[in-house]
Amino acid sequence: MARLILNTENQQFDLNKQQTTAGSASNPRALLRNRSKKYMDLIAGLDTHNLTDTKGMALLMNAIQEEFGTAELGNWPLGIVAKCFLGHPYEVHTYDLSASQILHHYKVGEPLPDQFEKARTLAKHNAYALVEVYKDYVILIREDGSASTTSAAL
Amino acid sequence: MSDRLISSADISGIEYKLRQLDSNLDRVTNNISHVRTEVGGVLNEVGTLNQRQAQLAADLNQLAAAFSDFVKNDGKQKSLQLAETRQGNLKQDLEIKFGYYGEVRRMATGILQGVDTGIVSDGTLRATTEEVMLKAPGYWLAPALITVASWIRNDKATADKALNESLRRDDYKTTLFFMLVMRRLNRYEASLQWLNRYFMHQNPYNLDREFVIILEAVTTGVFPPAARQLMMKNAKSWLAQLTQSGDYINDQKAQWLQFFHAKAPVVSGKYPLLEQFCNNWTALETYLQTVSAHEPIQAHFKNVIGASTDLSKAIKVQLDEILSMLVTNFDDEELPLQQQVRLNELIIDMDGDKAAAQSVMDAEKHIFQEKVDFLQLLTNAAFNPAKAGASKVTQALAVSISQPWIVEAHDTFTANSRNSIPNLIVYNIDGFTAGTQDGSDEESLLGQHEGYWTNVLKAELAKAPYPTSNVILGGLIIALGAGLLIVNPIVGVLAAGVGIWLVLNTLNKHKKTIQQIKDSTANREQKSKEVLRGCIAETVDYRKECAREDAKAEVVRALLTSITPEDFSSVSKDTRNILTTN
Repeated sequence: MARLILNTENQQFDLNKQQTTAGSASNPRALLRNRSKKYMDLIAGLDTHNLTDTKGMALLMNAIQEEFGTAELGNWPLGIVAKCFLGHPYEVHTYDLSASQILHHYKVGEPLPDQFEKARTLAKHNAYALVEVYKDYVILIREDGSASTTSAAL
Repeated sequence: MSDRLISSADISGIEYKLRQLDSNLDRVTNNISHVRTEVGGVLNEVGTLNQRQAQLAADLNQLAAAFSDFVKNDGKQKSLQLAETRQGNLKQDLEIKFGYYGEVRRMATGILQGVDTGIVSDGTLRATTEEVMLKAPGYWLAPALITVASWIRNDKATADKALNESLRRDDYKTTLFFMLVMRRLNRYEASLQWLNRYFMHQNPYNLDREFVIILEAVTTGVFPPAARQLMMKNAKSWLAQLTQSGDYINDQKAQWLQFFHAKAPVVSGKYPLLEQFCNNWTALETYLQTVSAHEPIQAHFKNVIGASTDLSKAIKVQLDEILSMLVTNFDDEELPLQQQVRLNELIIDMDGDKAAAQSVMDAEKHIFQEKVDFLQLLTNAAFNPAKAGASKVTQALAVSISQPWIVEAHDTFTANSRNSIPNLIVYNIDGFTAGTQDGSDEESLLGQHEGYWTNVLKAELAKAPYPTSNVILGGLIIALGAGLLIVNPIVGVLAAGVGIWLVLNTLNKHKKTIQQIKDSTANREQKSKEVLRGCIAETVDYRKECAREDAKAEVVRALLTSITPEDFSSVSKDTRNILTTN
């Protein structure tokens, strides 16, 4: 039984090719690509610099826009949770992309808004610089910008 | 009158009758015992009869069994005879329709051996192969043999024509055949070309069973080093194809996650106090288990990556086996007939048991039809190289190609483990419940503990109230005694004495009870405190161990991210020796 020869020569895929946007509806795995240094720096800066809320919001939205490009809004994170360096009793802070006040510090034991609570334990871990919160899962970003997730199906 | 009557009464007659009655009774008794013996005899006989009946039933059963055995055996015998007859016919059929195929195959093996030894003349080769071509029209192996023969005698034109014909008849088999023959003859350039063609035949969604052996051969350097680059190029494009669509990667990730979970060791018995006095020990244990998996995982990958080249000629033998299977195994068009022959063969082997033969047949079919996608093949080779028919070198290569999603799966495993860390460790010691994060708040816990036991003591003491009623009663009796002193001093003194005794006794008893409560509570508190201190100590150890194990996750990650498929090109350095010396 003779087989057709697959014309693999014409189907060249470059594995090293970087996609320009982090996510698309067709391939959510792209959300696991490395985050840019600019994005990482900006998010780290938002906490240490005392930005006013409006300016912070604008900056954050810009950074997200740049990082996630034209990806559908559904693939944008709902917000970000990170370890708070204000010291005890503060534990984590959140950037809520849907709220008017973006930066909020939370004390130990103080409950986070519903969708953010699932990121709390991981945000406290030193291995992760920040945790992006999505509807069904979280994406953990390390200092070097590499991403991983709690969901096996991603 | 009456006296006389009595004295003159003669009872001898009565006595006689009584004696007679007695003897009659004896006789009756005798008779009864006789009857009993008789009945016993009858019973015995009935028993014997029963026995005989049981024997008869058993005999009958045996007969029935023997009969059914006979029927079964007869059936089998008939199936056997039928199978034998049919097999004869089928073989005849095969011989008539495909008899020359067998001859071509035998000749192929012969020609290959002849080429190996170089003792067959070109003329003979030419004559026989051309004859075969005429006798076996449509069979791919015939022109393939002509190609070999004309290639040996440097007849390029004929070789090309024959090769084209062979490819036209069965491209895949011809490709595999020439790839293996060229490798066998150490014609590296040619074998590389054929290998390239072989790769083009492969469908990454549906790889053939022998692919893993080819992969193994390429990995271990049985093919020329350039073959490795060729394979990596193909592998990369397949990966891109497979990862773009469907859940192939997710399936592999899920398998790796399971694999990581399976590496979690047993940890019970390490923290006996926490195990006994912790409310959320199950969560603590689960976390410790998963977090302890990183070390075995690291050991596993180190072992895979560090595997020295444990190759031998085994792979070459396997390649030759494929070649020999390729030339000796029947072709697809013969398959239906050959399958029937195989079934009849199995029926004969199983002494006519059709059902057993069919199940063996089905199992065999399954094995040979098994096809996997490229990612699954890599995962199989990475998990269990021996079962997948690969060596440790291929395992290392499989791991290195699968590295991106192994890292992803490990990241997920780590994140899930870190997410499940219990924040509080909750003790429950003799009714005292308190939670701590890491045992660093020992002072506060001990303070809470003391407070708890003060309350317990209070509650316990409250259960033994002051015996007011008895004391009042005693007081009243004393008062009564004092009142009686005027009327009757002796009774008064006695009553007062009783009263005083009652009061003193009651007070004494109460004091003892209080002391008992204090003692037992203090005792419980002491024990509880010891347990608490032990628990705190274990908590500190537990958190330290968890942190230590958790840190290993980063080491594993670093190890995994350092693996690249290119690393394994160095593996072939040792194997090239085999190539050049053989």
